[in-house]
This record gives sequence, structure tokens and C-alpha cells, in this order.
Amino acid sequence: MIDLSNLNAKTNDLNTLTPENTALEIKNLDLFYGDKQALHNVSMKIPKGKVTAFIGPSGCGKSTLLRCINRMNDLVEICRVDGNIELHGINIYDKSVDVASLRRRIGMVFQRPNPFPKSIYENVVYGLRLQGINDRRTLDEACETSLRGAALWNEVKDRLHDNAFGLSGGQQQRLVIARAIAIGPEVLLLDEPTSALDPISTLTVEELITELKKKFTVVIVTHNMQQAARVSDQTAFMYMGKLIEYSDTNTLFTSPTQKQTEDYITGRYG
Amino acid sequence: MGKWFKSGTPWIWMTGGAVSLSLIAVIGLILLIGWRGLSFFWPATVYEFSIENQQAEKSVLIGEIYDTEHVLKQQLIDGGVTGLEDEADSLDRFLLKIGNREYVDLDFQWILETYIKDKKVAHDIVVFERTKNGNFYGYLEAIKEGETTLPIDQANLIDELDQRLDRALEFRDKEHDLLTGDIGRINNDLANIRLEQRKVELDGELTDAKIAEFKAQSDALRAEYLGLENELFSYRDQAKRDSVVVKDMTGRSVSMPLSYILDFYQPNDMNFFQKVGHWLHQVYKFVHDDPREANTEGGVFPAIFGTVFMVMLMAVIVTPFGVVAAIYLHEYAGKNSITKFIRIAVINLSGVPSIVYGVFGLGFFVYILGGSIDQLLYPEALPSPTFGSPGVLWAALTLAILTLPVVIVSTEEGLSRIPSTLREGSLALGATKSETLWRIVIPMASPAIMTGLILAVARAAGEVAPLMLVGVVKIAPTLPVDGNFPYLHLERKFMHLGFHIYDVGFQSPNVEAARPLVYATSFLLVTVIIGLNLAAIAIRNNLREKYRALEH
Repeated sequence: MIDLSNLNAKTNDLNTLTPENTALEIKNLDLFYGDKQALHNVSMKIPKGKVTAFIGPSGCGKSTLLRCINRMNDLVEICRVDGNIELHGINIYDKSVDVASLRRRIGMVFQRPNPFPKSIYENVVYGLRLQGINDRRTLDEACETSLRGAALWNEVKDRLHDNAFGLSGGQQQRLVIARAIAIGPEVLLLDEPTSALDPISTLTVEELITELKKKFTVVIVTHNMQQAARVSDQTAFMYMGKLIEYSDTNTLFTSPTQKQTEDYITGRYG
Repeated sequence: MGKWFKSGTPWIWMTGGAVSLSLIAVIGLILLIGWRGLSFFWPATVYEFSIENQQAEKSVLIGEIYDTEHVLKQQLIDGGVTGLEDEADSLDRFLLKIGNREYVDLDFQWILETYIKDKKVAHDIVVFERTKNGNFYGYLEAIKEGETTLPIDQANLIDELDQRLDRALEFRDKEHDLLTGDIGRINNDLANIRLEQRKVELDGELTDAKIAEFKAQSDALRAEYLGLENELFSYRDQAKRDSVVVKDMTGRSVSMPLSYILDFYQPNDMNFFQKVGHWLHQVYKFVHDDPREANTEGGVFPAIFGTVFMVMLMAVIVTPFGVVAAIYLHEYAGKNSITKFIRIAVINLSGVPSIVYGVFGLGFFVYILGGSIDQLLYPEALPSPTFGSPGVLWAALTLAILTLPVVIVSTEEGLSRIPSTLREGSLALGATKSETLWRIVIPMASPAIMTGLILAVARAAGEVAPLMLVGVVKIAPTLPVDGNFPYLHLERKFMHLGFHIYDVGFQSPNVEAARPLVYATSFLLVTVIIGLNLAAIAIRNNLREKYRALEH
């Protein structure tokens, strides 16, 4: 059941975060798919160097919100966004923002492992090559560091130049994480990263997430409440496109203030 | 029974049957044209026939049995043949190839079996392949050097002929090399000087000094040419030195200079392996040599070269255009009714009859585009056109627009098969859309692009009708690629296997001689197309293996 082991950990008041400790601030975000509103006035601060989880039933808008953070929703033609998301005080929806460089600062890992049809090595250094880095030694180093960072190095170090499709699902997902951290982002967005994995691989990835927060701010979307409880420091519960409750993970799971949150975490719907 | 229907088995049999039927049809077709075409090169037995017709005129015919036909007696009697009262209801009629075209009325003759009084294998018969007038069948009598008959006994004649023919062929080769090499270069240079002079004249800068300079240059070349011409004539004379005396079927002795004998063989004195060797040699000559005698003899090399060259040129042109168009339509164009309309229009383009493309190519590419290029870049050659007349470039361009829809459609299909997660994965790493296209999408779509190209090549290589308007000719004196600068002559006309089949089959002065060549050329065309396709398929499979899509 719900893991309460870090019940006594020091809690942060999310509303009084100093700007230095804030990685991202979402302000009054509305999102429309055509005429349909998918997000309603979402506001929250995501602290630096922590793991923040979005939970909620299917279709509640948690993935949509996550994809707003690195502007992946730009790809959807009928999608329109109102409101701000601020990274270090700069609105990422500002016209002057270069989307490609924004995405270099806010990396993302998707639900299903999506390695490119290239070698393991080329997958990891893809982002670096995009930046024009082709020096062999730099790439080799970055490849090793990232693969170690994603806890994959020992498994693949002898077959770096094999096709990435030869890896298992869990390995592929860690490879994708290595690929994302290779370009040194500030924020790492994980969109249900373990939903396509078996329990053992899930465990490995969860352990990895705990490691990752030492270097990156992690935002994770999950439909698995136990996972949210295990890996996150604070949790946001969303329902019907609205942010219902956002607080410390322990607080949210042990003493939710909202009825809807309580219903959801006790399994009454969703 | 009802159960059997429910189980779906009859459908399996039906679909399987349809597949087998198609396969049998294709294999049957290839076997038929392959057999008809390739058996032509087998050294057929030469017979000596004693003929006595109804007027009791006796004669001797020497030749190969080319074809056999079964005819009804009544049909023959209706046709005015008399003296058949005692015969059976139907008779065999043989088509004999007797060669010796300049000495007989018809080198192919139909003979009724009743007229053949005697038929025996003609031992020691020699078949000569000649540069003109087709084959000659006869018995070797003597070899002459100049006017003197060499005192060689009968047994050694063949060996001696072999040696002397080699010598004559050597001179012919030298002559050919000289004609295509140095003399070709001098002609080319002379033409260039003339064009250069005309260009200077058009620029209004033609001074007496310049005229003198050009004259000096061309005089030097002409002097060189005269020297080479003497060399050429000496080769010709030397090749003509020997001649061979052959007794033909009427008993007349015929003297032929070795200079126009290409090859000779004794089909009735060959064992099986010699025949196989001869067959291989003939096939090689067919594939390697230039055509002779209005395409009814010799090989088809220029046509093979023209076909492959034109198709490759077409592939080089159509691939970038098709891929770029497909990428725009699929990736950048707004998803609205205009895009839909354009897409439908593109698909429908492949339904336009190919001859219409030919007319378009002639009107637009040749006259408008080619004419403008001539005005701008080659004014010195006018009024004779450079690019303003049909040529291999225009043929390739015309076929490129003909096959463009195929490439666009299959590339678009390939693009839409690439999982969106991969594009997102690339974008999430800070790639722009074009970087994602270059690094992920296009490589992954390359097998589909190759599929489009395979279909395009298959269609283009078999297309003849439009080519007749934009560049194909019966005989092209030069290949589009040669040793004279700029080496690639895209404005030249070219030969094509498909057109060659049409030309040999329908425009030939000698139908019987041409018929097996039609089969052989058809077989070759099919082989070339299969070869081009196999090459493309091999590349595609390679790419497919490399970019195996995610298997979820």
C-alpha cells in the first residue's frame, strides 16, 4: 500500500518557495483543444531539485500539463494556451523564446521507450550532435557519463555500437533517459515512464528517478499512486483539467484537504 | 460441405489459386520469350535439300530449318498449288533460311515437304557471318591472297582461314579504334572550332587575326586528319588483301574478301560442347555488339546502354523532386482541402496516358526549355539545335514526371508510417523540425522511398510511347557517354530496348530475320528491368534492416 516511510521528512511550504528554489512557476494556465478546454486555470510552483508527481484519473489533463512545460503541445495544431509558465522568471510562451533551446533545458521522456533506429551510442549523443558537437572524445565522455547516470552503463558498455532496438524495454527506457540527460537539461519531464515496463524494470527506473533528483528537477506523471508516493517529494492531484490539490506527498496521501483527492487516493473512483 | 465452407478453406484455395495463376502466367511468359529468343543463338544444323517441284525442276537448297508449319491440302490447292492429288489431307511446310542474300531472290523460302526428294546433313558446310547481306552458306574451296590462289590442301583450309580472318579482324579493330578514337576527336574539335568562331562572330569580335588563328587551328587538325585517313585506308587495304572462295548451293564459286567477314563456323561438325561455346559467344556478341543492317543483325549494346542510362538519369531526377514534394505535402502543407485536392491531383497524374506525357515533353521540354537553352547558351550552333531537339535528358525528364506520382505517393506512405513518438523524441532533445526530418524521419522513410523508386523504374524502363517523341531513335551513331569533353552528352539521342523491339518487329525490311531478334530483345529488356529492380530491392532491404521500426 502507500509507502509512508518519509512521513517525517521536512516539509516545504510550496506557496512560499523563494525564487531561487523554484524551478518552474505555472501561472493561470488555460489550454484549449479547439473549443474544448482541457486545462482550467492551473497555477503551481515546482521546486528545484525535487521530484514532483502529477496524479489523477485518465483524461484529467496531467499529461497535457506536462507537455505544456516543454511546449510539446505546439505540435498539436488546434491547441491554444493562455497563461504563463515561467522558467527563471521568463515566460516560455513568450514569442522571443526559441523552442528548440527551451527543450534542451527541459528534457522529456515518454510513456513508451522511443529509441531512434541507431546504435546505442548514437542515441545517447544525438542531442549533442544536434548542437554541432562532433569531437569524438567529448562524445565518448558524455556517452559514458549519461549511461552511468541512467544506470545502464554496465549493461551496454560492450555493445555501444549495436542497434538500440536490441535492448529490453526497461533498458530502452533507461537509454532514453540517458539520451535526455546527455544534453544537461535543468528539468526532466517523465510522462508515465514505467507504464510500458515490467515490475522489475519499473523498480530500476524508480531507483533511477531518486538518483536523478540530485542533479535535475524531475516532474513525473503517473497513474500509479504507489509510485507517486514512493518517488515524489510533492504531488499534484488533478481532476477534470483542474488542479485540485497540490502539496507535500506525505500530506497529500495522509491528510488530503479535498474530498475529491481523498476519494481518488482511497480508490473510490478513477 | 457447409462446414467446409464455414471453415474458410475454399477462400484459401481460391486466393492460393489466384496467386499460382499469376505466377504461372509470369513464368510462362518469361520462359516463352526466353526460349524463343535464346534458341536463336544455337548453331542449327544445316541441311542440303534436293528439291523437285511440280514442274519437275530440280534444284539444291542449303540452309537451316527455321520454322515448320502444318497446312491443309485444300488450303494449298485453293492457293493455286497443283499436283497434290496423291498427298495426305495435311502437309508440312518448312521455312528454310538459305542466306546468300545477294545471290538468291529470297533468303527465306517456304518449301512443301512433297518437293523435298532428299535431305542430308551438309558436312563441311561453312556458315559465314558478314557485315552485310546476312549469312552465307557454302563449301570452302580455296583462299586467295590478292589474285593468287594459295596452294593449301583441303584439310588445312579451315585453320588457314582462321588465322587469316584473325589478321583481317585485327585491321578492322584498328580501323574502328581509329574512327572512334582519333578521328572522332578531330571531328569533334573541328566542330568546336567552327562553333567557337561563330560565337566570336556573334559577339562582333571577329577580326582578321582571329579568323587566321581559327583557320590555322583547323588546318592543323585537317592535316592531322589526312595523315590518319591514310592510315585508315592502309588498314582497309590490308584487311582486303585476302579473300575466300566458297562454292554455294548452286555450284557457283563465289569470292568474298575477308574484310567483310566477321566470323565463320561449321555447325555440322561441332560437338555439343563446341555448340554450347558457340552459343555463349553468340549471346555475348548480341549483348556486346552494335547493330548492323538496319538492326536486323548484330547486337543491341547501344540499346541496353541507352535504356539503363536513361532510367538511371530518370531515377536521379525523380527521387529528389518526388521526395521533396512528398515531404512538403505530408509535413508542412496545412491539412486542408487544398492539400487534399493537390494530393488527389497528384495521384490522378499517374492515370494520364503516357503518350500525353510524350507530347508534353516534346512541347515543353524540347521546344520551349530546350529552345531557350539553345538561345541562351548555344547561339553559335543555331539554327541547328543542341538541346532544342529530342535527347536523352528530355526523355529522362519526361519519364521523371510520368513516374513522379508513384514516388510521391509511396514516400508519403512511408512518412506517415513513422511513429510520432520518434519525432517527439527528437524534438524533445532540442531538434528543430527540419533537423528531425533530416536525421530521423527521412532515413526511416528511405525504404519507402526506395519502394517508390522501384515502382518508378519498373514503369519507366518499360515505357516506349512517350520516348518516341522525346529522344529515342532507330540508330544512334554515338552513345550519350564517350571520351570527348564533356563526356556526358545529355543532348544526344539514344537507343532503347523497348523501341528496338518495335523497330525490329514492325519496321524491319527482313521480317523473318528480325523475328527471333524481337524475342531475344524482349527477353533482354525483361532481364534488364528485373536486374534494375533486384538492385533497388536489395538496397531497400538493406535499408529496411537498418531502420527497422519500433516493434510495439
